[in-house]
Amino acid sequence: MAEDKGRILELIKRVLFTDFVKGLTVTLGYNVSKSITHKYPDEEKWVPYRRFRGVHTLNRTETGKELCVACELCSKACPTQCITVIPMEDDTGRGIADRVAKVWKVDLVRCLYCGYCEDACPTRAVRLSREYELACTDLSCTVRQREDLLKPVQVPESFEGGVIAKSEFLRSKRGIKVKVDLSNTRKRPL
Amino acid sequence: MPDTSTILEFILIIVKAWVIAMVLFGLPLPLTWLERKIAGHIQVRLGPWRVGPHGLLQPFADMIKLLMKEDIVPYKADKLLFVIAPLLAMVPAFAVFAAIPFGEKVLIPGLDYELTLYLSDMNVGILYILAMSGLGIYGVILGGWASNSKYSLLGGLRSSAQMISYEIAVSFAVIGVVMLANSLSLVDIVRAQGGNILHWNILYLPVGPVWFFIFMIGSTAEINRVPFDLPEDEGTLAAGFHTEYSGMKFAFFMLAEYIAMVTVSVLAVILFFGGWNAPFSIPLPIPPIFWFMAKVAFFIYLFMWIRFTLPRYRYDQLMNIGWKILLPLSLVNVLATGLMRLYL
Repeated sequence: MAEDKGRILELIKRVLFTDFVKGLTVTLGYNVSKSITHKYPDEEKWVPYRRFRGVHTLNRTETGKELCVACELCSKACPTQCITVIPMEDDTGRGIADRVAKVWKVDLVRCLYCGYCEDACPTRAVRLSREYELACTDLSCTVRQREDLLKPVQVPESFEGGVIAKSEFLRSKRGIKVKVDLSNTRKRPL
Repeated sequence: MPDTSTILEFILIIVKAWVIAMVLFGLPLPLTWLERKIAGHIQVRLGPWRVGPHGLLQPFADMIKLLMKEDIVPYKADKLLFVIAPLLAMVPAFAVFAAIPFGEKVLIPGLDYELTLYLSDMNVGILYILAMSGLGIYGVILGGWASNSKYSLLGGLRSSAQMISYEIAVSFAVIGVVMLANSLSLVDIVRAQGGNILHWNILYLPVGPVWFFIFMIGSTAEINRVPFDLPEDEGTLAAGFHTEYSGMKFAFFMLAEYIAMVTVSVLAVILFFGGWNAPFSIPLPIPPIFWFMAKVAFFIYLFMWIRFTLPRYRYDQLMNIGWKILLPLSLVNVLATGLMRLYL
């Protein structure tokens, strides 16, 4: 008897297209919902969380001295040997010690962004930043020198991250760049 | 020497035919955009976005691409049929619109002339439309045959089998409407549904909704749209009957398909939703053509909505639905409608 009732109910459901209507409501709900597509790079850009490991950056103290003491621990720790450090003696006060890096370069093509150099660094000089736009038209930009890495990064380490920031897409002869506006951010939908 | 009113009539018909043809040629452009936009939003994407504001110029970009593409005719294809097939698919799709009314007579202000919003009010209108839209299938079958490719051939065969199974059910569904209106003319069918929403055929209980669902399911199968798009089933047949087509020939097939979708939407509105009649009396002077357009737009949206909701049926399921459910149901419904007409 109960079985019959179930079968009749099933039949009525089929005749009234209940499953079909259910499906249609689901898709209609999505149709009117907001899209999750990021309008990158024209209008917005994803700013990753702090844990993100992007291009290396060399930090300075608050007074502007280089934190790197050219101890070469990062290049020793590197599993792919992509970091080259050549130390030199310097007493002009460029670094926090007399020993500073003459050359500190990283080959981004070989780097696997494991973050071991970060862990090895005794002075927290080398950090992996949140810079991830690495595409370029020739191989010259794949090796980053000390001078480039010492420049301040777009997203400072103090910034929380994990948001979509308004951005500006800049084209120039030297290439393309996406400039983020960290004061104008929104949470990621879904 | 014919008098001036005859000449005027003649010129008017040519102008009307030209306008309808131009609108139909232009219609797939916004429809492709709309379809991709709806697909995008249902899948929580944006759809076309980069070409023009909100991707509005995307159809033009597509059109230019299709025009520029190399027009390939396969080496072992039947050259003549291969070229003719897209035209055979397209011409009936256009010809159908000769009998479709878009509204009643409109009085042109100033000229004091009554303009009819249809090319011709045939006394066998609905029969003509069913016959013409049935001819379109030849393009698909011949295209599939002439390509000399197994995918195309299977697509064409599926298409013909589908047509035979579902055309019957659709015709029976239309018979019900004809029984209600006592006429085959589409203008008369709409007139019979005059008044408010309660006079529409969809609300002729209990048979109206059944007619409507049979008609909708059958015509979805006929215009090869999901969930019955087996002739161009990407999953198993590459692209079905138009696998070997590229460039403008492919565009003609797509054009025919979109126009067929519009035709079915228009027919659904005329046969079941009261054509250009307003659903309830409104004190505002809204022109009847607005109601007609709004209803057709809803059905076009419905077809796209369904496309991105349902998966595709298996081939044997398709045949089962056609022969074992729709056909007996429509026969019973013909009987029921006849009895209701006799004794109610």
